[in-house]
Amino acid sequence: MTKIQFLLALGERLSGLPKEEMEERLRFYSEMIEDRMEEGLSEEEAVAAVGSVEEIGAQLGADTPSPKTAKEPKSSKRKMPTWAIVLLIVGSPLWLSLLIAAFAVALSLYAALWSVILALWAVFGALVVSGFSVTLGGIGVFCMGKEIAGLAMIGAGLVLAGLSIFFFFGCKAATKGAAWLTKIWARD
Amino acid sequence: MDIQLKRGLLDVCVLAAIKNEDSYGYKIIKDLQPCLALSESTLYTILKRLEAANMLTVRTVEHGGRLRKYYHITAAGLSRIEEFKAEWQEMLDIYQFVTKEDASHD
Repeated sequence: MTKIQFLLALGERLSGLPKEEMEERLRFYSEMIEDRMEEGLSEEEAVAAVGSVEEIGAQLGADTPSPKTAKEPKSSKRKMPTWAIVLLIVGSPLWLSLLIAAFAVALSLYAALWSVILALWAVFGALVVSGFSVTLGGIGVFCMGKEIAGLAMIGAGLVLAGLSIFFFFGCKAATKGAAWLTKIWARD
Repeated sequence: MDIQLKRGLLDVCVLAAIKNEDSYGYKIIKDLQPCLALSESTLYTILKRLEAANMLTVRTVEHGGRLRKYYHITAAGLSRIEEFKAEWQEMLDIYQFVTKEDASHD
């Protein structure tokens, strides 16, 4: 009998117990089997050493003095099927790391989104600064007597400044979009 | 053996197994092996009883990619062991008295 088979059978045998208690007991036996396997026993041997499902069930009956828990099957209260509980126990440390990984991925996607927004605003900033400085530089060059080069620079500077105005609206729209996405994610 | 007496003895044995350092289920069973053979189910019941009586606390530790529960004795658990030692002296006195009565009748 494998560990999963054993836990499934034991879970069925303990199905009269509340979910938390059943889960705790299954975890306990799961740990016992794994500790024996770690010591060098095969899975079969480790399961056999823990005792049979019938023995454990019989002992449970003797240990619980309140007949309430044993007689009333609280299956209506326990929505999770036995196999799901067993799977949860067998893979328990794995679930946690998967959950952390999923969270990290979501976080990095979120960070990536906002870094794109940040980059857009940086481009906007660069356009404003370069627009101003190229225009001012062009005026300087113009005054120094190089009229054609000066005019070209002033023209280029004004084009950059004009682009920055367009870019401003683009950045604003992108930021709004990102904020909207954040809202949706937060709601989920 | 009287079930109440046996229960008390088992409790003290498990407490003694975690007295010097925190231990986990399988190690407790192995450590107690020379003195008594404890089944998993019995150990589970004892541990639950001791936890409910605040004689030990439980913490879960990740071990080799899985979870393992470690049991730690509390002050109440330690004083239970001391209590047991005192009780045992009384028990020995009673035993001596009982066996002496036997001897005088023979």
